[in-house]
Amino acid sequence: MTSIVIKVPEPEKGSFNHNRPAGKLLQSQTLHLREALLKYLKDIADVLAIDPKSLKTERDVSTYIQKATAILHTQARKPSERPVK
Amino acid sequence: MMENRSFDHMLGGLSLVMENGQKKYPGVNGLTGNESNPDTNNNPVKVNPNAKFQSQLDPDPDHHFPGVDMQIFNGAPQGPGRARSMKGFVKDYFTQTNNVNKSHNIMSYFTPDKLPVLTTLATQFALFNGWFSSIPGPTICNRAFAHYGTSFGQVGMDIFDILAPIMSSYERMLAAGKTAKIYYYDQQSSTMEIVNLLKNQPQIFATYDQFISDCAANTLPQYSFIEPCYNDHEGPGGGEILASDQHPDHNVQAGEKFIASIYNAIHGNPVVWDSTALLVVYDEHGGIYDHVAPPDCTPDDCQANATATNTGAPFNFDYLGVRVPAILISPYIAKGTIVPGTEAGAGARIFEHASIPATVTNFFLNGDAKRTKREAAASTFLDILGDDARQENDLPFFTLGGH
Repeated sequence: MTSIVIKVPEPEKGSFNHNRPAGKLLQSQTLHLREALLKYLKDIADVLAIDPKSLKTERDVSTYIQKATAILHTQARKPSERPVK
Repeated sequence: MMENRSFDHMLGGLSLVMENGQKKYPGVNGLTGNESNPDTNNNPVKVNPNAKFQSQLDPDPDHHFPGVDMQIFNGAPQGPGRARSMKGFVKDYFTQTNNVNKSHNIMSYFTPDKLPVLTTLATQFALFNGWFSSIPGPTICNRAFAHYGTSFGQVGMDIFDILAPIMSSYERMLAAGKTAKIYYYDQQSSTMEIVNLLKNQPQIFATYDQFISDCAANTLPQYSFIEPCYNDHEGPGGGEILASDQHPDHNVQAGEKFIASIYNAIHGNPVVWDSTALLVVYDEHGGIYDHVAPPDCTPDDCQANATATNTGAPFNFDYLGVRVPAILISPYIAKGTIVPGTEAGAGARIFEHASIPATVTNFFLNGDAKRTKREAAASTFLDILGDDARQENDLPFFTLGGH
C-alpha cells in the first residue's frame, strides 16, 4: 500500500469550450498536417502515373506492388498498432 | 511534454513554503516574492500568487522569437553584451492585451496547493532547477530539439526539412533494432510533432489509450514520448474531452489529471515502475515570467537570419530559452532531489530539450548516432538515478476525480 495519497481535483464544470478560437499552435498544426497530406498525394500520384500495362518484368511489377502496398498499408494503419520488434 | 508554462509560474511558489520558521524547500530556485517587472507606465509589478487555472492568460501571451527577446532583454538594443534582465515580460504582454492591468497577469504564479500533482512529483522525486527551453521561441522549434536535438535552424512555427544525416531519436532506435513510440492523445488531437514522421514512420505512433494498455501489459517500447491532448473536443460517445496540454487558455487542472494518469499507469505495474524513468517537462515558457536568465550554450550547427528572427539581428543558437518545469521520476531517485541550476555557479547542471535525445542515444545506443554539436554537448540525466529502489510506502499515488 502507498502511504502518500494525493487527491487530484477535477477541472471546474464549464471548462470545456470547443468553440474557443483556435490559437496559433493549433492553426500551425493543421498547416503541418496539410503538408503531410500533400506528400501522401504526391506518393499516390507517382504510383498512379505508372501505366500497369507498361510493367514488363517481375522486377517492374514487384516494385510497383511494393509502392502501392506501402501506401495502402499506411493509409489503413491504425495508430494503436504495435511496432515491429 | 507539456505546453507553455514557466518554472516560476508552476513551481516558483515552492520557495515560499515555510515550515517551522524555515524554508521547506530551500534547494528550489524559485521565487522570493519580490521579483518584479516594469509595466508600460514604468510601475514595478511584483510576482503574485494569483495564477488561475483558466481565463487569466487570454489572449495567449506572446512566445514567438521577437516577443521572447523582449521578455529576456527588455528592449535592449541588439548587439554584444545585452543583459538578460528578464524584465520585459509585462511590457510584452501588454502588446497582446492592450490593457495595463491585464498585462500584470503575466507575473502570476501558482501556490503549491493549487497544483498537487506537479508539486508532489517535484518534491518527491528530482526537480531540475536549470532545465531551459532550447530556443527563446515558440513550440515547434523547441519540440524539434526534443526529437532531433536540433531545429535545423528554425526559430518559429514553420514546418521544417530534416537535414541528413540527423535522424529523430525514434528513427535512431528503430534503425538499431530497438523500439520507440510517440503516444499522442487521440486522432482529434493528433501529434504536435513532426509531420514528416507521421508520413515516414507511422509505426512509431500510438494513442494515450494504447499507452495505458501498454503499461498494464508491460509492452511499452524502450523509449516513449507522450503528448497531451491539445484541444477541447467531443469524445467517441459525445462526452467532453478537455485539452490537457496546459497551453493558455486551456485548463491547468486537466493537465494535472493527465500527468497523474501517466504516473499512475507506470506506477500501477511493478515491473514497468521498476524499469522506467519518467520525465515531465514543458516545451517552452509560453511568454510567462521566470526570473532566471537563460545561460549560454553550445551553438547549434546553424544560424537563423534577421528575417527569420524578426528582431533585426541573426540568432546563432548560442543561448537557451526561458526556464521550464522539469521533473524526473523513478523509484531509484531519492525523495527531494534537487538538480542544481545556474544558482550553483560552477556546480550548475544545465539541461535543455536536446538532453532528451542525447540521453536516449547514450543510454540505448551507446551514443552511436549522427548528432549535432548541440546535442553532443547536451547534459544527460540518467545518472541522477541511484542504486536503491524506494519502498512502496514512501511513494505518492494519485486518486483522480476528487474535489
